[in-house]
Amino acid sequence: MTAHALLTFENVHITRDGEPVLSVDALEICRGETLAVIGPNGAGKSTTISMLSCLLRPSGGDARICDHSIGSDSQAVKESIGVVPQDIALYGDMSARENLHFWGVMYGLTGDELARRVDEVLELITLTERQKDRVDKFSGGMKRRVNIGAALLHKPKILYLDEPTVGIDPQSRRSILDGILELREQGMTILYTTHYMAEAQELSDRIGIIDHGKLIALGTHEELVKLVGEKTEVHLGVDKHLHEVAETWRGIAGVGSADLEDEGMLASLLVDDANAVLPAIFQAAETAGVRITSLNVVEPNLETVFLHLTGRALRE
Amino acid sequence: MRRIWALADKDLLQTRRDKLAGLFTIIMPIAFTLFLGLIIGTGEQAYPLVLADQDKGDAARELVRGLRGSEVVSVEVVGVKEVDERVDNGQAAAGLIIPKGYSEAVAAGRPAELTVVRDAGSSGAQTAEQEVRTLAGQQAVQTRAATAATEAVAQAYGIENADRLRRDAAQAVAQSLSAPAVTVGTVQSGSSGGEVPSGFDLTSTGMIINFVLFSTMTAGVALIMERRSGTLQRLLTTRASRGELIGGKVLGMFILTFIQQILLIGIGALAFGVDYFNDPAALLLVMISLSALVSCLGLLLATLFGSEQALIAATVLISMAWAAMSGGWFPLEITGPTFSAIGHVWPTAWILDAMRGIILKDYGVADVLPAVGYAFAWAAGFFLIGVWRFRSTEK
Repeated sequence: MTAHALLTFENVHITRDGEPVLSVDALEICRGETLAVIGPNGAGKSTTISMLSCLLRPSGGDARICDHSIGSDSQAVKESIGVVPQDIALYGDMSARENLHFWGVMYGLTGDELARRVDEVLELITLTERQKDRVDKFSGGMKRRVNIGAALLHKPKILYLDEPTVGIDPQSRRSILDGILELREQGMTILYTTHYMAEAQELSDRIGIIDHGKLIALGTHEELVKLVGEKTEVHLGVDKHLHEVAETWRGIAGVGSADLEDEGMLASLLVDDANAVLPAIFQAAETAGVRITSLNVVEPNLETVFLHLTGRALRE
Repeated sequence: MRRIWALADKDLLQTRRDKLAGLFTIIMPIAFTLFLGLIIGTGEQAYPLVLADQDKGDAARELVRGLRGSEVVSVEVVGVKEVDERVDNGQAAAGLIIPKGYSEAVAAGRPAELTVVRDAGSSGAQTAEQEVRTLAGQQAVQTRAATAATEAVAQAYGIENADRLRRDAAQAVAQSLSAPAVTVGTVQSGSSGGEVPSGFDLTSTGMIINFVLFSTMTAGVALIMERRSGTLQRLLTTRASRGELIGGKVLGMFILTFIQQILLIGIGALAFGVDYFNDPAALLLVMISLSALVSCLGLLLATLFGSEQALIAATVLISMAWAAMSGGWFPLEITGPTFSAIGHVWPTAWILDAMRGIILKDYGVADVLPAVGYAFAWAAGFFLIGVWRFRSTEK
């Protein structure tokens, strides 16, 4: 365990009816870091959150949070964590303030500190004006914000967010993502599960890819892309047939392949670094008297990484 | 402890905001108490008897006077045509027609006829007819005894005109029979000062048991909804321990049912005149034991059933069956010994006995302790099984 690690996995595995459902040999989340865990439904994301929330005991191994074992010291672990469940786990017939007050008490807050934190969190989730309204009268996005706010009352050392943007409109989603970015800037350690690649890429310092209960890749976005060796796609449209210039392009250093489509009017190139090879590609086209009419550069993303690693798309 | 209070307070707040909960916990028990109490009444009401006197003679008038003085029937004199009509439409339990010649036949010692109009299936009519037979028979006996005595005296002393003697003898016989030779006293078992339990004494206590048991539904559904909405799981990720969660849930149910009892007992005392407060300390003990029993039962039921529908069905069945078997709907005294013994397996039968004992038998703290102890023993059993179930289901 490194000195700045806040959460560590130590050969953790969970089995259910004899079948392995989660297996993580080694993983650390450092203080102030945001780690996104992506994977399809049923991959083990929520199981991971449940285990780290002390709701599920590992069948073997251990995970430590702030150096407390989730197995043997769950009460101390619970003091350090804030859990935002995937579902809206609030009391719909109570107001936003009543909900936050109740959850604050459950997290051990009392008196003035409780009232102050409720006020602060209401401000943070921008619901001060609506604090007396019943939660079941709120929009999906507002409910999600209260759902997150309830986990922040006791200023946890690490925040678990289990797919917090599922089933809400784009505007509310943006609002929630901005809130998470703000928490990140304030130095909160965050473990975030999602199956939206763009969210993982935007919010996180590192990304873990989980499939069939196993952490199959971990790193920054760039590291993951490099890890799987994916190349950038360059799609070109031209005004003349490309058969001759394509051969020239294939000879440029950094160009892996150049395939022609639409009777030679379109080309798809796989390149190591688009910025490095594009001038040479343009030069070769000009020399051959071919005018480039369209250009589309597709850098490898998490979707392609996931596809490469698992052999299937994330939404399958 | 603070978290336990907060959990209980939250449950009570949600119950207060649930309009259906108010219907089940307060309004329905009051309505049922009133409805069943009026049906049962005191058990002493007179059956309405419509009477047509076609004779108008001395014996007929004497019979009418006798019936008017009866506690069993209340007499209304009507025309002959009305008798059938009033019995047919249920306005009278029975009708009596005194035909012409009745008084003459009675005076002559000949068989006299009376016509009773009744609905064959009515038990009230049977009672009213029996009262008519008793009074008419008594009248015939008086007349025949006076006639027999007069004839014997007239014959012995050679008195030819014995009319005056017959009248004097009739009066003497009537006077003699007016004081019964044997008095059978009836004492209500356990009644203080011969107090007779009213319908409300029975139904108010019975409906408290019935609808406090019903309240397990409100509390149980709340726990199932927490499980379904994910709030229960979320609670388990906070600093609240499983023990605190169970404590909060049970405390919430306890307070809810205790407040329900306070309201129903208060209304029972003020609106229905039930003497709940003969011994407040004993009453308090009984109330505490009932709330403890029901809140622990609620915990157990909520852990046994996974859906609201299943829990509601089970609660309705259990509360109805349990209340009925415990004497909540009808006194176990009117059932056979086997049913009564089975009924007293349930702690609610003991609690009912204790409550009715406070109201009717001057029970004090010492008298209710066995019932309280029995109820607490059951509550402890429910609690232990409920905790075991909760721990295993919320793993």
